Amino acid sequence: MALRMPWPLLGRSKLESSRAALPEVIGKADAPLMAVVVGLVAFGVVMVYSASFVYARHIFDAPAHFLLRQAAFATLGVLLLLGLARVDYHLYRPLTYPLLGLAALLLMVVVFGLGHSAGGASRWISVGPVHVQPAEVAKLAIIFWMAYSLSKKQDRIRSFSVGFLPHVLMSGFLMLLCLKQPDFGSAVMIGLLTFVLLFTAGARLGYILGAVLMAAPLAWLLIATSPYRMRRIQAFLQPFQHRLDSGYQIAESLMTFGAGGVTGVGLGDSRQKLLFLPEAHTDFISAIIGEELGLVGVTCVVLAFGFIVWRGLRAAFRSVDDYGTYLAVGITIFVGAQAFTNLAVAMGMLPTKGLVLPFISYGGSSLLVNCAAVGVLLNVSRPRRRLPDDEQETDREPGRAKTGQARDGAGRRPGARANRRRSASPGGEV
Amino acid sequence: MRMRMALLGALIFVGAGLVMRRAYELSVERAPALREMAEEQYQRSMRLAPKRGTIRDRNGAPLAVSVDVDSVYANPRRMRREGVDPARAMRLLSSVLDLDAERIQHRLESDKLFVWISRRVTPRVAARVRELEIPGVEMVREGRRYYPNRELLSHVLGFANIDGVGIEGLELEYEQQLSGSSERVPVIRDARGHVIFSERALDGRSTRGADLELTIDRTVQRIAERELSLGARTFEARAGSVIVMDPRSGEILAIANFPSFNANEPGDVPAAVRRDRAVTDRFEPGSTIKPFTVASALAAGSIRPEQHFDCEHGAMAVAEYTIHDDKPFDVLTPAQILAFSSNIGAAKIGGTLGREGLYRGLRRFGFGRRTQVGLPGETGGILRDYRRWYEMDAATIAFGQGMSVNALQLATAMGALANGGQLMRPTLVRRLIDGNGETLREFRPRVRRQVVPRATARLVADMLTGVTGPGGTAEEAALDGYLVAGKTGTAQKADYAHGGYDADAWVASFVGFVPAENPRLVISVVIDEPAIAHYGGKVAGPIFRRIAQATLRHLGVPPRGVASRSRRPRRAPANAATATPEATTAPTLAVAAELPPPAPGEVRVPELRDLPARAALVQLRGSHLTGRFEGTGRVVHQDPAAGDVVPEGTRVDLSLAMPRAALGPADESARLASVELTP
Repeated sequence: MALRMPWPLLGRSKLESSRAALPEVIGKADAPLMAVVVGLVAFGVVMVYSASFVYARHIFDAPAHFLLRQAAFATLGVLLLLGLARVDYHLYRPLTYPLLGLAALLLMVVVFGLGHSAGGASRWISVGPVHVQPAEVAKLAIIFWMAYSLSKKQDRIRSFSVGFLPHVLMSGFLMLLCLKQPDFGSAVMIGLLTFVLLFTAGARLGYILGAVLMAAPLAWLLIATSPYRMRRIQAFLQPFQHRLDSGYQIAESLMTFGAGGVTGVGLGDSRQKLLFLPEAHTDFISAIIGEELGLVGVTCVVLAFGFIVWRGLRAAFRSVDDYGTYLAVGITIFVGAQAFTNLAVAMGMLPTKGLVLPFISYGGSSLLVNCAAVGVLLNVSRPRRRLPDDEQETDREPGRAKTGQARDGAGRRPGARANRRRSASPGGEV
Repeated sequence: MRMRMALLGALIFVGAGLVMRRAYELSVERAPALREMAEEQYQRSMRLAPKRGTIRDRNGAPLAVSVDVDSVYANPRRMRREGVDPARAMRLLSSVLDLDAERIQHRLESDKLFVWISRRVTPRVAARVRELEIPGVEMVREGRRYYPNRELLSHVLGFANIDGVGIEGLELEYEQQLSGSSERVPVIRDARGHVIFSERALDGRSTRGADLELTIDRTVQRIAERELSLGARTFEARAGSVIVMDPRSGEILAIANFPSFNANEPGDVPAAVRRDRAVTDRFEPGSTIKPFTVASALAAGSIRPEQHFDCEHGAMAVAEYTIHDDKPFDVLTPAQILAFSSNIGAAKIGGTLGREGLYRGLRRFGFGRRTQVGLPGETGGILRDYRRWYEMDAATIAFGQGMSVNALQLATAMGALANGGQLMRPTLVRRLIDGNGETLREFRPRVRRQVVPRATARLVADMLTGVTGPGGTAEEAALDGYLVAGKTGTAQKADYAHGGYDADAWVASFVGFVPAENPRLVISVVIDEPAIAHYGGKVAGPIFRRIAQATLRHLGVPPRGVASRSRRPRRAPANAATATPEATTAPTLAVAAELPPPAPGEVRVPELRDLPARAALVQLRGSHLTGRFEGTGRVVHQDPAAGDVVPEGTRVDLSLAMPRAALGPADESARLASVELTP
């Protein structure tokens, strides 16, 4: 103890108080979930190499170019995941606004210059050798902010001005920045996360539906006014009729799945990766999985993500407070939506969006962000002892808790209400 | 809230289910169709381009070879990626390559992945392009057909196009064998068209094309082309062909055509120049047909060698036309008819055969059908069925008007007279040899048929020596030291525009063999539309002589003067040394040294006893003497006697008699009808 004295001395009281306010951890994180995610990351490294070595040799004259990078990021990602799984998620609450601000700042930097342009869109910021993708950060930021904000507002969530509008405005702002890049996929993902969390927290269905109905024509306008998005829609609808231009990628992707059949052509033996299928190691890696490992491989991938979604929602259900629940839901939807959207795009069920397959596709930003998200999710999944009502209320914000109680009148189970109140108290922040 | 979360979870699992359903659809239900489309784009059956076989002459000298050279191409998309300015790249390339700048620059500005810039460049140019180091400009090895002898035999060899496919000549005729196994090998390629993988080794060694070994002798070919070109230019001819053949085997030693072209640059000349006229062009042969008419009549027994024909003083009416001779003759034997080339005499001899007999006789010599030498576009000439002859034809065909032949047919037919009556199938390709040096196919000499009896062939051959003798139509075809048999032809060309014959357009020809007593060469010379002169003897004769002379020397055929005949005492004529360059060999000189040399303008009379008539004639001519022959057989008496010194041009009277033992068919002795050969 004596040795640790000098540093904790200053902040000891604060640290002690906040730690004391946290629900006590009484179990381990969700080990099967962790195993599946780490397994997917490892599988991703293998698949990235298999899908990219021909392309890498063609472009860089170094077949292992992507393999080495992906392996490095995978190691970093797994370390990040394991590390964050040990950090109590409540500690992020003070970081909510700094993170949101950082995301917005980065997005603006990208949008208004300085961005590293690739593929006709500026989505990256170069920090030394690393390309940071602000949109990925923005997605995490919106999850944290929504979880924080929704758990704080509690039952006022059903109101339009307090519960609904601020969230829609904030995410709308980030979405606009994403669209400006242009990065339609990230904008949609931010929108999706916002509405899913609003929906989960109990926002009025009418508002959500209304907003969606209002957004639909806007989205259509965005698509219709952008030639490249229009072409993507066309390509999506009739890939084989536009096979030589806009539909090329989709058509190649479908052919790649078909070539694999049930059992696939064998790991490493893909022929479509011989420069036929563009983005084989990033957005369309699932097609290469389909070709090399067949329907069996694709099924395993779908099952793995299904498992992640199940365990993620399970963690959300079991969370001792609303903040944990929303975080878990947000992260689960974030990972699951990316995965299934990516698969659906590769299979020609949705128009091309530029979404990666989490943990598997090549890309450092995406891998780190997803690993970080799952790390947080793993921490949420740790069983915790619920704090007794009095302790929490007296210790922290008695006044607010009362207000929340007073507003509650929707005829819910008292236990549930109490639970929500308890977990909603933002420790150490006024 | 739990309800909503459960709903959310359910939604996601519905999505997962939809994805699985779609995966099943793609991987199972639609898999066969999709897989086929995918395979279509990466599976290519690549046509293996094995090294094309080499064409060699009979001694192994290469005539057409394939070498690997560099071809320059560009990847415009890569150039753009590397930030190369097409205009600048173009300027750099233009400094090294000969290019159509505008077109290539247009190509470089395209969005393609592959454009040719220049194919099959020389190693020096390739090195310079490499030095430019323009990103996106690369090279690939391609086989290039190369004809090291340029013009030599180009008409016969033909040429291969830029993709190495035979277009004309032997390259076309033997395309399959030369190109090797053209089997297609399945390969996997990438989207840039590069072959990534193949189940089979692609080294191409096992599938090398077969080599062609020709019967052509490159030296003889060179001689023939040189002399033909020289002669054709001298007489300002439109075109010409020469065939040199070995009458014993039917092997073609040379096929020359004029004008010639460089097979490496076939595009530089019009197609007419590239034509192998010797086999593709037919012409009315004129008098060169007469020997075959005579031989047919002799074989059929419709005339006798000593029979006399009234030649009507140079004009004979047939139907509504009149047949003319160049000079009026009274009465001629068949030998004289050939020597002086009397049309009227030939017509009368043909007449003794009747239409059918003449037609069948000429057909037996191979006229009117292809020789099947194995060259594309060969013509068979035209010899219409006798039932469709006009009244005039029966007379004119006997002397070669009203029918057409090609130069190869003439040579082949003359070969039959030279070798004792056997019509050989002409061969141009001797062997096909595979990549491992094993003979795939051998073309041996083949006798088509015995056209006329051996004795008849010899008799006509004897008669034909008169053609090159004094007073004959082809004195200029005569060689020092060798006896030449042959026949001239001076045919008017048909005027297709106006009908009838063109008064100014001629085909001058000479077909002969040498040495007459033991023929080694048959040479046919055909000169189309010579402008300076038009008589076959005058135009084609000298070309024949020069080719024969050089070729005999090349083949090492000893001239008559030094021929060692065991039966004959070695008393070689001393003055043969001064008369023939070939005679300057050691044995002759040794003999000559014993005798005092004759004074200028004088010659020593050679020993002629025991010689057959034609051999004696050669000896006399070699000594610049003339001869007068009496009787048939071998020389039994000569006046002046051997060893006497007489002025040049003196006439030597010779008496010939048939030795009793020498009447067998194998005997080389002549049975020449008594012909007076005086200047």
